[in-house]
Amino acid sequence: MKLARLSKVFLASILCLSAACGARKPDSGGKIVLRYLDEPDVAGTAKEIIRKFEEANPGIRVEMVEGPSATNTREDLYATSFLSGQDTYDVVFMDIAWLAKFAGQNWLRPLDDFFTPQMRSEFLPGDIQGSQYQGKIYRLPAFSDGGMLYYRKDLLQKAGFAPPETFSDLVRIARKIQDPPKLWGFVFQGAQYEGLVCDVLECIWGNGGDLLAADGTVKLDSPEAIGAVRWMVEAIHKNKISPPGVLTYQEEESRHLFQEGKAVFMRNWPYAWELLQKDGSPVKGKVGITPMVHGRGKKSAATLGGWGFGISSLSRHPEAAWKFIHFAASPEIQKLRYFRTGRIPSRKSLYRDPEIIKASPHITALYKVLLAARPRPVNASYARISDTVQLYVSAALSQRETPEKAMQSAAKEIREFLSRQQ
Amino acid sequence: MNPNQPDPRTTAVQWLYAAPALVLMALVNVVPILQCVYFADKAQALAGDTRLWFALKHTLAFTAIAVSIELALGLAIALLLFRPFPGRGLVRACVLIPWALPTAIMAMAWKWIFNDTYGVLGDLLYRVGIAASPEIAWLADPLKAMGACVLADVWKTTPFMAILLMSGLAGIPEELYEAAAIDGAGPVRRFFLITLPLLKPTIALAVLFRAIQTFAIFDLIWVLTGGGPGGSTQMIALYVYDTVFRYLDLGYGSTLTLFMAGCLLLISGAVYLLFHTREAYE
Repeated sequence: MKLARLSKVFLASILCLSAACGARKPDSGGKIVLRYLDEPDVAGTAKEIIRKFEEANPGIRVEMVEGPSATNTREDLYATSFLSGQDTYDVVFMDIAWLAKFAGQNWLRPLDDFFTPQMRSEFLPGDIQGSQYQGKIYRLPAFSDGGMLYYRKDLLQKAGFAPPETFSDLVRIARKIQDPPKLWGFVFQGAQYEGLVCDVLECIWGNGGDLLAADGTVKLDSPEAIGAVRWMVEAIHKNKISPPGVLTYQEEESRHLFQEGKAVFMRNWPYAWELLQKDGSPVKGKVGITPMVHGRGKKSAATLGGWGFGISSLSRHPEAAWKFIHFAASPEIQKLRYFRTGRIPSRKSLYRDPEIIKASPHITALYKVLLAARPRPVNASYARISDTVQLYVSAALSQRETPEKAMQSAAKEIREFLSRQQ
Repeated sequence: MNPNQPDPRTTAVQWLYAAPALVLMALVNVVPILQCVYFADKAQALAGDTRLWFALKHTLAFTAIAVSIELALGLAIALLLFRPFPGRGLVRACVLIPWALPTAIMAMAWKWIFNDTYGVLGDLLYRVGIAASPEIAWLADPLKAMGACVLADVWKTTPFMAILLMSGLAGIPEELYEAAAIDGAGPVRRFFLITLPLLKPTIALAVLFRAIQTFAIFDLIWVLTGGGPGGSTQMIALYVYDTVFRYLDLGYGSTLTLFMAGCLLLISGAVYLLFHTREAYE
């Protein structure tokens, strides 16, 4: 639509003046310059990777722009730069959740000619599944991520419990061991933001439900989905195993509580492991991991996170960009990244790497979690779907609405805007 | 030459001098507004947009409550700091500090203050003996979260109100007070008979400024609650941002912006009717 394109140019022209002005890249000494936006490189790992790449490829220079650490802000920065039609960024370092939106806007170059099916088979299946949009692949997974359950090994052993498998196991054990407010049963990410969707999806999937079915129909008001949300609501308000403040928790708030020894169970991402095991951590050596709990007779599910590289459709150097991203997602670099930053590999072979297994024996348990990990809906309207789920699940968790009413409203709203779009 | 009759040549030169500024203003103000009107579509969707009415309700409530408290507190501070006393300059400067600090950063600090496990507000109330436990999850409860947003906004913008009202107080002739005092009017009577009526135009202006700003609030809420929990602090500006930048729907985003502008016109009209009575000028 011409109007849509025009409107985007207009939007960009008023709102991304800085992006537009700073867009021209100096071609330093005939070298190809590649640019991408990433989180602040505190540990210097990204710079080290770039240095290694530039040594091997003297004709290419890579510029990493250190953006804000809030991921949704970086998403908006990429979006505004694309809207302005500038080739500011050649490489797009993106969260798996952005893929459909970016690909749907034709901002990403399909990578099918570079990224062969044989190469794809070396990666975790969920990572590849979440990198595709409408039959094409747009992203090379750099590291993976999946939600799981952390538990206090010492406390469970002392009380004579095996790690929980079902929703009711978790409630039972938590109620037995907990002593609030000194020790809470279960913490998760309950704030109204993207992380809440990841947590609720694990409960819905683990209860045999879904958000969107394979054919695109909305399943949020199914009994399985409502039951999953009800379980979360009851964890706070009826079983009282989760603190009321969990409604404000993102990843770090839950980790702080768990790390201070104030929670028996925590749903979180793999990054927390390294921090929990650090010297000086009150729970060092007292933590175990297991797949997220599920409904009786159902299977555990993990929400797939993880980051990867795409190439901008506006880049004038797609070959050079592919060279860089292929390098940055290679086994050696993924291994380096794992040891430096704890980022979990997206390549299957690394889960059999003797050095990694020796340093982190929990990686084999993690592999099982990641094999079962599922991407969030790959839909061009995902941002809107996610916001709606966040809003209504949060309304249920804060008891503004019953789980039934909240999920029915969410499903209705999502159906409405999905149908408007077609 | 008659000095009251402007020389046409001078007028032309004046316009010429003003032209660059006017062109610039047109480019950054008028053109975007016209384009906003041009791009706006799906206006019929407004009526059925549950999220919009939801957000409008919260925004109106937030604006009404926050501006009322700011007015009351601002007036009190203005009256207190208007009369000279030793160290007044320093105190005035201190009062201004919240206004001078960047909102997003202060919102971050408020987030810590309202934190459920280490927040200082819960701890204070506990030590004073008002709260049963220091661990109060302010931002987890719809009502408390809205209260927290109001508190943070009041803290931040009351100084602005106070400064505007102080400038209004400065315009009230001292003789009126002296005459009223001689006639036997006490401080309370003097306040209601002289200060308040003569301050009315300034109050109208201050309320108008603050109502417009508060109605369009974005940064404080975005950082403090992100609109949660359960959308209980969702404001219209956040919805416009999501529509344009997250859902990439510029057409409907423009419609929402125009809708917001319409609301602001109505609010301005209401404030005008409320405060700008003729007596204020007499």
